[in-house]
Amino acid sequence: MGPRMVEGELPGRYPFYWTRAVYSGYGRGWWGGRGGGSWATDYPKGDRQFLVVLKRLVRLNAYDWENAVSLADPGIRRFPVIYAVEVGRMELTDEEIEGLRSYLDAGGFLIVDDFWGSREWSVFEWNMSRVFPERSIEDIPSDHPIFSAYYDIEEILQVPNINNGAGGYQTHERDGYVPYVRGIFDDERRLMVVVNWNTDLGDAWEWAESPYYPLEYSTFAYEMGANMIVYGMSH
Amino acid sequence: MDALFEFLFKYRGIAFEQGDFAFGAPGSFRIWLGVAGLAAAGAVATYTMARGKSSVLDRGVMAGLRVGLLGLIVFCLMQPTLRISTVVPQQNFVGVLIDDSRSMGLDNEDGTRRSDFVQEAFTPGTGTLFDGLAERFVLRFFRFSDIADRIDGLNELGYDGTRTNLARALDAAREDLAGVPLAGLVMVSDGADNDERPLTEALVPLQAAGVPVFTVGVGDELVTPDIELGRVELPRAVLEGSTLMVDVVVTQHGFGQLTVPIIVSDDTRILAEERVDLGPDGEPVVARIGFELEQGGSRRIEFQIPTQAGERVEENNHRTAWVDVRGEREKILYYEGEPRFEVKFMRRAVEDDENLQLVVLQRTAESKFLRLSVSDSTELAFGFPGTREELYRYRALVLGSVEASFFTFDQLQMIADFVSVRGGGLLFIGGHSAFAEGGWIGTPVEEVLPVVLREPQGTGPQGYFAEIKVEPTPAGLAHPAVQLDAEPTAVSSRWDALPALTVVNPITRIRPGATTLLEGINTDGITADRQVVLAFQRYGRGTSIALTPQDTWLWQMHADVPLEDQSHESFWQQMLRWLVDGVPDAVSVVTDQERVEPGETVRLIATISDSTYLEVNDASVTATITSPSGVVDEVPVEWTVEEDGEYVVEFRPGEMGDYEITLEASRDGSELGRDASVLHVARSDDEYFASARRTSLLERVADETGGRFYTADDVTTLPEDISISGAGVTLTEEHDLWDMPVIFLVMMLLMGGEWGFRRVRGLV
Repeated sequence: MGPRMVEGELPGRYPFYWTRAVYSGYGRGWWGGRGGGSWATDYPKGDRQFLVVLKRLVRLNAYDWENAVSLADPGIRRFPVIYAVEVGRMELTDEEIEGLRSYLDAGGFLIVDDFWGSREWSVFEWNMSRVFPERSIEDIPSDHPIFSAYYDIEEILQVPNINNGAGGYQTHERDGYVPYVRGIFDDERRLMVVVNWNTDLGDAWEWAESPYYPLEYSTFAYEMGANMIVYGMSH
Repeated sequence: MDALFEFLFKYRGIAFEQGDFAFGAPGSFRIWLGVAGLAAAGAVATYTMARGKSSVLDRGVMAGLRVGLLGLIVFCLMQPTLRISTVVPQQNFVGVLIDDSRSMGLDNEDGTRRSDFVQEAFTPGTGTLFDGLAERFVLRFFRFSDIADRIDGLNELGYDGTRTNLARALDAAREDLAGVPLAGLVMVSDGADNDERPLTEALVPLQAAGVPVFTVGVGDELVTPDIELGRVELPRAVLEGSTLMVDVVVTQHGFGQLTVPIIVSDDTRILAEERVDLGPDGEPVVARIGFELEQGGSRRIEFQIPTQAGERVEENNHRTAWVDVRGEREKILYYEGEPRFEVKFMRRAVEDDENLQLVVLQRTAESKFLRLSVSDSTELAFGFPGTREELYRYRALVLGSVEASFFTFDQLQMIADFVSVRGGGLLFIGGHSAFAEGGWIGTPVEEVLPVVLREPQGTGPQGYFAEIKVEPTPAGLAHPAVQLDAEPTAVSSRWDALPALTVVNPITRIRPGATTLLEGINTDGITADRQVVLAFQRYGRGTSIALTPQDTWLWQMHADVPLEDQSHESFWQQMLRWLVDGVPDAVSVVTDQERVEPGETVRLIATISDSTYLEVNDASVTATITSPSGVVDEVPVEWTVEEDGEYVVEFRPGEMGDYEITLEASRDGSELGRDASVLHVARSDDEYFASARRTSLLERVADETGGRFYTADDVTTLPEDISISGAGVTLTEEHDLWDMPVIFLVMMLLMGGEWGFRRVRGLV
């Protein structure tokens, strides 16, 4: 792994920083056991693990370490692809709403992951309606380029969390039985937000090395991850 | 002055210039020198012996005056003569060349016309010059403008020629009179030559043949008060929606410090208006005007300054130019060696530009590529083009962060040839694997780049990294590619407002002949060297451009950039349009002039190449010319032999309006390509520009051929001057010089001087 950025260092040495969106919410993230908001779920191990594998799959000149930036921080505009998890527990502040809206309007790309069921959907949908009152969240058609930007993905798998996956239990959580890949498009029909609902790609990335976690889920998760990043950097 | 000279020396100065000096008295020069010496010695001896009360100085002065007087007497006794070759009357020809162009119809300051002089001087019987010339020479009259031909009388002059071509006139007269004894040529003109042919080509044969040209300048040397719009240079063809920046030079006399508008319009509307301060009297000023051309087709663009009160020439206040606004979709290949945000944001910036097709080939893994905006499923299916034919389909190539070792040597040579042979545009973008950091030193492409590469200090993320604030250079402020604002004065402030970028390729020098348009100042406040941000150079038939930052997308994404700001979009649209601007097709046709008058000869020049841009000399080429009234004429276009791939045919349009020309080329039954062009047949105003008398040019013609320059005021001696010029059939005349009044005057002065000296000194 390469050197870490020091406090105040200007990003830019690398073409790509895997950036996690920091947002306000009522959940408790893990963050290496130190707690934090729901944004910090699987942080930072999941991020590091994802980068290690991703860089072996994609010729990506990426920063090796985690990079978490608040939606309200203007500095987030330096990272045109961001990742948000556990959005079913988010409760964005006005500053975060404004920050996310301007980020996406300027051309930023948001990847959303790891939230389940209708209640969490409602929370996320409500937050996004505050960002874009005029835009709806809609299914991404299967022939959309995001499904062929790197790997050809023909079927959307439901990726279980580590406990369910490694334990051989059900893949769903709560009432989230069917996985969806949905999106928010701009006026030019360009995809701004990709929403992975009723699935947990992050856990599959994080626990890909576990012999107990089924390979088919981590394989799909990495395929989807590579596609979303290649697409987000070129479209 | 000339009259005084002639009174004192008996003959005019030109006689002394043309003639030879000699002594007519018998005996050798030494004998006469001895006689002069004896007389001088006698004079000195006389003054030395008769001392009286005079001092040595007195005697010296008086002896000197007396010796001078004796010397003059001896000089006269030697019978000095001037030998002049004089033409034999009616044995020689003189060609009289009269300017028949429109500028001869302009008024002089005194209210007369320039052409009035021709009538006054050359009307048989009454003309001030005609009789003098006709009694000595056989006269042949010629008229000249854009063409030159013999005329029988002044009634054939119409003063309606559209150009003034002195060289062609001299050639025509020399060739026409080649078989006869020629005493000289007389050229009557304002000298306002507006042809591009060098005059020297016509003067050298005249010098060799010993034919003097006597030029007569008509018209005022300074036309005042007057405002004139200088030549306006526009590209022949641009893409629809292009913004043009045009420099207009305005010259004026008599309107110093005035502010006037320059209005740019097409047939339907005003495109731009710029007010220009004319500055001090007589000094040209340059105004830059930007305007956008939106509608496709052949567009007539008019530049105009409203006529000011009292202007002498109104016709030179406007200029007309034509631009072919093309609605084609130009294909550009952008090869990026790794996923980078430049791809995303460049695509977004130009996606609304219907005239640009940015085809992206992005390497996402070894031998794995993402293809975007391709025309069909086969395009770039095997990665970067492996043949010239495949690469040359694109008009421009953008290379992102990709190491040179990715390409085969043949592909590297192909990229260099893409610029130099195919004439395409190459844009090299900064990145970890670009420029020197990408191992491009020593490759065939290095020479194409407009910047100097130096060995990298380190590569990858641990290598060079700096943040720079970008600003335009003076050359950049004048270049359309980096104009972020339609208002020229706002361009600098727009650049100031943009956020800093980062660079990983330290580049501070450009190649000789390259131009820097943007440069970067390091934000660390320590580094003094300025980063070359945007530089370009012409290379062979094409252009290569280096853009060294790695993240111009920050001009779109950065939080300091308002969402409504279009700087990033404008920058990339202008950059890519510039990249494809002027890129030639394999088959192209142009006319040697974009506008002619009916009856003027036009050359159609076609360049024919195959799909690898190798010139083809055995093509079958046909031009279809459609007149404004719809008459279609098919003409074969032949290879010139002098230039590979160049085919030429001449034709004379007879109608006013636009002629449409389509050209088709084929070889062995297969089509090589086709192209179209438009010829505008319209009345020309060229003669009203730079229309003041060019004395220096007419003097040069006279000086270099042994002739003389005259104005209407001193032209009366012209017939006599030609007669002693020495050209043609001549006989030698000897003219005595001993009786020149100046000699007797000097004698009187010497004698009177001695007498006066004696009176003053009391020696009488």
